[in-house]
Amino acid sequence: MTLPAPDFRLDMRGEPCPYPAVATLEMLPRLMPGQVLEVICDCPQSINTIPVDARNHGYDLLEVQQDGPTVRYLIRR
Amino acid sequence: MDWLSFKQQYLVRFWAPVPAVIAAGVLSAYYFGLTGTFWAVTGEFTRWGGHLLQLAGFHPETWGYFKIIHLEGSPLDRVDGVMILGMFAGCLAAALWANNVKLRLPRHRIRILQAVLGGMIAGFGARLAMGCNLAAFFTGIPQFSLHAWYFALATAAGTWVGARVVMLPLFRPPVRLEPVTGAHPLSADQGRAARRFRLGMLVFLAFLGWAISRFLQSPTLGMAALLGLGFGLIVERAQICFTSAFRDLWLTGRTQMAKAIILGMAVSAVGTYSYTQLGVAPKIFWAGPGVVLGGVLFGFGIVLAGGCETGWMYRAVEGQVHYWFVGIGNIIGATVLAYLWDDLAPVLVTPFQKVNLLTVFGPQGGLIATLVLLALALLAVLAWERRFFAAKALQGQMVKEVP
Repeated sequence: MTLPAPDFRLDMRGEPCPYPAVATLEMLPRLMPGQVLEVICDCPQSINTIPVDARNHGYDLLEVQQDGPTVRYLIRR
Repeated sequence: MDWLSFKQQYLVRFWAPVPAVIAAGVLSAYYFGLTGTFWAVTGEFTRWGGHLLQLAGFHPETWGYFKIIHLEGSPLDRVDGVMILGMFAGCLAAALWANNVKLRLPRHRIRILQAVLGGMIAGFGARLAMGCNLAAFFTGIPQFSLHAWYFALATAAGTWVGARVVMLPLFRPPVRLEPVTGAHPLSADQGRAARRFRLGMLVFLAFLGWAISRFLQSPTLGMAALLGLGFGLIVERAQICFTSAFRDLWLTGRTQMAKAIILGMAVSAVGTYSYTQLGVAPKIFWAGPGVVLGGVLFGFGIVLAGGCETGWMYRAVEGQVHYWFVGIGNIIGATVLAYLWDDLAPVLVTPFQKVNLLTVFGPQGGLIATLVLLALALLAVLAWERRFFAAKALQGQMVKEVP
């Protein structure tokens, strides 16, 4: 399966929790339905927050990629 | 399974938080049975503050608070001290395995203020309540001490206020949504990942060897060090965060960590109960206004800081500079409380009874009461989740109807 390319990026590197998860939930409604948001984050805690929140709030979590200290989330509105 | 996939799956990838918290509950029950005390960190941090004052020429050992929590010896001679060293070693090893150590500098100056101030308020509140999320909550409730229930409710209230405050515009510098056409390139430096992994193994094996040699001389201290290593691995690898368990109920309606913690406490309560029935005395503290005030301050402080006394430990070794300031704030706040204790305690703390639920309701009744209260807490979390998302759905409908 090939993943769609993101339409927007939210770079939250350097920001601690809860801000990456909160900003992700605030930004997603600004996308058109079907568009894809890429969130880049180096707060490891986000692994327990962003995926669960995205699903709970009705978005599709397409991918979580863990690359050392950086985690990349791909979420479709 | 070959070594590479074992390493990737169990040592590098994050662990699922729910089983990890339950495992922490089991380990904390063992810890109680084997060392006679509960899994706690703040008391030891307060002693570090005391040692620093001694180095500066003061005599904190004459203060009432240090007479209660004892300031004799060095961290290496104390159960809490070697356990915390184990936790730091475990956190560091786990973070290195996953190449998750990186100097992360705060993006905004306001975060430093948040970290120090939040850390101080949380440290002060935790010690006023005789423990942080561990001694007064995660391991306090399974000790059947009534004060832990007061603390839990007060902390929930404090985190609610904190969650309102950290969302103020002051703490929300604008973030930018960038239009892009392709994925962000990942910079996987395999050479560095491999070097970090080896370093992590070195830390892990060196501490393990030291702890085993301690265990052969002094079973209690050695076991405390070994269990500390286990706690450290668990909290870092699964990113266990007590702050988010409370705070994110209010902010995003996420209940996963809160539910996991309640289950972990239920498991731990049964384990602790079995040891009390074999004659180990549980740790019971005063259930009065001090613990309520301490809980509110603690709840507010951990949300402002972004992490509690356990949370800053693994984040600090991951290189999150923000949490170095939280740690410093914690030690300052706890030391200030120790200094003021002799004035505060006769009013807020010591006139009130130490209530052991196993004595009040009898051993069986106390266990049943604790499990019933935990079940009620779980139901309350589920009801809150339902309400949160029902309100959100309603709001979404209204937005759609307006244009």
